[in-house]
Amino acid sequence: MASANPEYKWRAVPPNHFRYLRACMVCAIVLTMDEFSRKGCPNCHPVLDYISSQDLVQECTSPIYEGCVSIDKPTESWIAKWLRLDKYVPGVYATKVVGELPEEALDNLRAENIEYIARDGSENNLE
Amino acid sequence: MSSNLLNANLASDEEDDDDFVEEEEEARPEKRQKRDAREDDDDEEDENEDDALKSSRRDRSGGKSNGADEDDDIEDLEEDDDEDDDDDDDDDDDDEGPRGQRGHQRRVHNPFIDTMAEVDEDDEDAEEDDDDMEIGDFLAPREEEESLRGAAIDDRFHRELDRRNQVNLAQDAETIAASYRDRYGKQQRHRLGDSSGATPKRLLLPSVNDPSIWGVKCKPGKEKEAVFAIMKKLQDMKGTRNALSIISVLERGQSMQGFIYVEARRQADVLTALTNIPNVYARSGMILVPVDEMPDLLRVQKRAEITPGTFVRFKRGKYQGDLAQVENVENSGQVLRVRVVPRIDYSAKDDSSTMVDATGKRKRLMSTIKPPQRLFSESEAKKYHAKDLSPPSYSGGRTIYTYMAETYEDGYLVKDVRMTALQTENVNPKLEEVTRFANSGDGNESLDLQALSQSLKASTDKYAPYQPGDMVEVYAGEQAGMVGKVIRVRADIVSMNVQEGPLKGKDIDVPFKGLRKKFKAGDHVKVMGGSRYRDEVGMVVKITDDRVTFLSDLSMQEITVFSRDLREASDSGGMGAATGKYDLWDLVQLNATTVACVIKIDRESLKVLDQDGVTRTLLPSQIAAKIPPRRNNAVATDRNGSEIRTEDTVKEIAGGENRSGVIQHLYRGYAFIHSKELQGETGGIFVARTTNLATMIAKGGRVASSGPDLSKMPEMMKKPGGNMAPPIIIRQGGRDRILGQTVHIRQGPYKGLLGIVKDATDVTARIELHSKNKTITLDKTKLGFKEGSTGRILSYAEFVQPKKGFGGAPSHSSSGGNTGGSGWSGSRTPAGNSGWAGSRTPSGAHGASGGSRTPAWAGGGDGGRTPAWASGSKTPAYNDGSRTSDPYRDGSRTSNPYRDGSRTSDPYRGSDNDGSRTSYGQTVGSGGRTPAWNPGNRTPYHGPGESAPRDSGSAWDSGSKTPARSLTSINDQWNDSYHGNSSNTARTPAAYNATSPEFSGGYSAATPGASGASAPTPGGLNPPTPAPVSAPTPRANVGPWDAPTPGGPVSAATPGASGGDSRRGNYYDAPTPQVGGYSSAKTPGANWGNDDDDDAPGYN
Repeated sequence: MASANPEYKWRAVPPNHFRYLRACMVCAIVLTMDEFSRKGCPNCHPVLDYISSQDLVQECTSPIYEGCVSIDKPTESWIAKWLRLDKYVPGVYATKVVGELPEEALDNLRAENIEYIARDGSENNLE
Repeated sequence: MSSNLLNANLASDEEDDDDFVEEEEEARPEKRQKRDAREDDDDEEDENEDDALKSSRRDRSGGKSNGADEDDDIEDLEEDDDEDDDDDDDDDDDDEGPRGQRGHQRRVHNPFIDTMAEVDEDDEDAEEDDDDMEIGDFLAPREEEESLRGAAIDDRFHRELDRRNQVNLAQDAETIAASYRDRYGKQQRHRLGDSSGATPKRLLLPSVNDPSIWGVKCKPGKEKEAVFAIMKKLQDMKGTRNALSIISVLERGQSMQGFIYVEARRQADVLTALTNIPNVYARSGMILVPVDEMPDLLRVQKRAEITPGTFVRFKRGKYQGDLAQVENVENSGQVLRVRVVPRIDYSAKDDSSTMVDATGKRKRLMSTIKPPQRLFSESEAKKYHAKDLSPPSYSGGRTIYTYMAETYEDGYLVKDVRMTALQTENVNPKLEEVTRFANSGDGNESLDLQALSQSLKASTDKYAPYQPGDMVEVYAGEQAGMVGKVIRVRADIVSMNVQEGPLKGKDIDVPFKGLRKKFKAGDHVKVMGGSRYRDEVGMVVKITDDRVTFLSDLSMQEITVFSRDLREASDSGGMGAATGKYDLWDLVQLNATTVACVIKIDRESLKVLDQDGVTRTLLPSQIAAKIPPRRNNAVATDRNGSEIRTEDTVKEIAGGENRSGVIQHLYRGYAFIHSKELQGETGGIFVARTTNLATMIAKGGRVASSGPDLSKMPEMMKKPGGNMAPPIIIRQGGRDRILGQTVHIRQGPYKGLLGIVKDATDVTARIELHSKNKTITLDKTKLGFKEGSTGRILSYAEFVQPKKGFGGAPSHSSSGGNTGGSGWSGSRTPAGNSGWAGSRTPSGAHGASGGSRTPAWAGGGDGGRTPAWASGSKTPAYNDGSRTSDPYRDGSRTSNPYRDGSRTSDPYRGSDNDGSRTSYGQTVGSGGRTPAWNPGNRTPYHGPGESAPRDSGSAWDSGSKTPARSLTSINDQWNDSYHGNSSNTARTPAAYNATSPEFSGGYSAATPGASGASAPTPGGLNPPTPAPVSAPTPRANVGPWDAPTPGGPVSAATPGASGGDSRRGNYYDAPTPQVGGYSSAKTPGANWGNDDDDDAPGYN
């Protein structure tokens, strides 16, 4: 599965920019705020168009996340599979993203027939 | 993994991907999409067993250099660049040229045969699992392949074939895809949401075929950096020869600090990948994470959800630690709108806006002083900052003010706070705090129990909330409504024996969550913890859900607490043990500054009287500590400065009600006194400041010193000469002078040792020995005190008494036994002293007088003494003498012969310079001198008295007479004074009188001495006195001889004056009488000499 956004290319983030990092609440990819708003989310691009809406970035990405996984071969990786990231582009993902997707975004996803998987750890609580 | 599901997903994937590809293909062919597409192809083939597909497939594989799908898969795994393969598969038409190249490239990378072999080994199982169907299919192609392999492969041929097949495939695929879309259309999303979105986690559990995960140590705190660094390296190396073969890198932040986890197939790959990554210590060993622990590694716990109504706590700022209630969750949970009871200092901050410079400071100031929590008050705000207060608005039944840029709703401050500034876990709100939020709205208690229990749920209890025997009730979960008795508690699971309902008698296990304690109205309960009502005991009156209201036994108030904080109080239980620690009248510490005396002990509580006289009822838990009674060590001083100890009987003097009683405790300046008369609520105990107390009876007959004991004096005076035991020295109030003194121990096992007085009571002193690191308690009388100036060792009495100005003692001792006694007496009664002194001086004086006394003087110990010494005896004396000589001058002038006389005593002159010498000189020159003396002495007398008769004798007479005359017959007085009666007379006239007899006796010298006592008046007389005293005087006279001024006499008085006390004067004079010694005189020289030897050192 390829990036939904061909513009996307993973770029290194220097440690002093870590504080700008945010995680997409839908796919959990960790990028800087700037990247989200300039290039959009490589996985969620058409559905959540971060490029055109700065507010959407604010609402649908969260600076509160835990655990970073850099996944290079999503299809092979068990970690990616477990975290349900195996269809996404290689990149750095968060194991947990704290935050709640706003209703509009949920509606968007629903309209695209995409089932949203909360990344905030609630899934585990079900077990 | 279920192949069906996967396949289905993949199939739908295909659709999306294809769309994508169509859109984007030109610009950027992406391998993954394509590969997926290819896989989908496979699946379709398998499922439908479409021959056409199969054949095309076969062709394709045949056409491909490797000829096997497995190969492709393998290569995907093995190589980073697998685009080539994908291209081969899907984009037959477009990429003819490049394909060849890439194919070649690939072959270079992975020589075909080897790869085949490897792959088969690695992945066969996995493939087989998923693709049982395929195997059959592939077997054939494989064989074909084998046959083909030998022949040269013509790309073009194959491509044509492929193309042809592709057309067919495309057509078929479309129809197939359509059907799939019908079947799985709703899962179209999985491009975004993930193919495995619906797959239960348990189907995703790792198997042995999944890559392994190795844990690698790294610098704590640098995990994230490492992960990003490795990602960067992966990206940088991609497509190069050295592409890294690790699969992913995981970091778990706080939960697994100091480790990163690398997912890879081989450990060597991990090592390669981690070389040159800073802060990662791959070489220090790595841990293979067992397969069954891998899911744990990725476990994420959802934090307690923050919903409106939840309670949180401020982490910092002015409201640090304050409970707040969430009003709203904003900005996807990153910002919370909370309600908190404001802490406003309405009066402050007025000038913060005006004082720009001090703003920072002011702010800090304000933050340090936390105003109390109080609901917003409009009137207060108006009073101070009316302009900052916006008129209220009303919305939804709430009154909203804006004040100082903050919003207040119904008195609460409503504020947007970042989540990071709030504590959301383990908030553990107390009921008291929570109730502050409860009465919002229309006064109805609208305590949001739901929210509260939510906040409480997460809180970890420090004490075990359930104990065997507790009655509990299940209120949530499947077994809700169950009531039972706790049998045992394991971790957070309670095993309970059901007491009611269909399951009665059965044992069930229930987690803490969903369990609460059950009480009945009328139960006697005790508060266990968590609440400020801890240890309160009472009877349950009302139960609402998990809130229990009980009537406190102590305060008779209704208290509401959570049932979890309660426990049934057993009547026979060890409740009393708590109060049993304390006894009646124990002194207890309530807090750092408050102590109290227990005045009543109840079963559960104590009644205490604190140092401020307030009676309180306390629970034993509220008492910080018991202050053990010190062994009578506590000492305080009463109003009179005398020491009081426990068990003394004291009386309130000032400020009180004249209560009296026995001191139970002394604490700092407070005494807890038990009075027998005073009963009532305090049980006879009252508190008083020790400064308001006066001792009535000191325990053990200790001397209560309330002032000088006058009654003893006469007795002393009656036996001036008798040896008597030193009287009990009465110390006046205030600091004991002996504190800090270096003392000799004169008796006892420590005799001879030196020590420093550390503490003293009326009769004993604590002495820290110089020699031994030990502090001993000794009777004060066993101590010897070193006299500062002379080094003499004084007894305690001597040391202390001189304070009153007695110099006598030592002198007496030196002069004779009597003197000692008299000295004492003298010392006691100042009045008499002078008399005594005066009397003595004459009496015993002669011999030792000058010398001995002088030192005595010094020994006198008054601050004044030393100076006295100086002034009186040495310099002043001389001076005085010299001054006195003024009269001499007169005399001298008048009587030139004096000069002769003086000349005779020229040596004196020389000696004038040195007091001592002079005297010696005198002695030396005794023969001639004596006369000289006489004249000298006399002369002055004469001088003042009458103008210089040349005869010494006459001079004497005259001199003596003068005073004598002035005072007339005083022999009797003399005697009287001698005997102690003199006290009155002694000073003034008496002395003079005394002199007069002496005159008669030829003691002209004495007279002046006496006069000294009376000091100035007889001045004229006195002058001589000093002179004689210090033998030098005469010489002084000699010196000043010339000085004509008769004013001298006055000055003569001065010496006496210098002594300050008339007594001293007396003493002073006393020596003079020694002059009297002269009279006996012949040997004055000798006397002098002796004197000097004995006592004169002081002199010198």
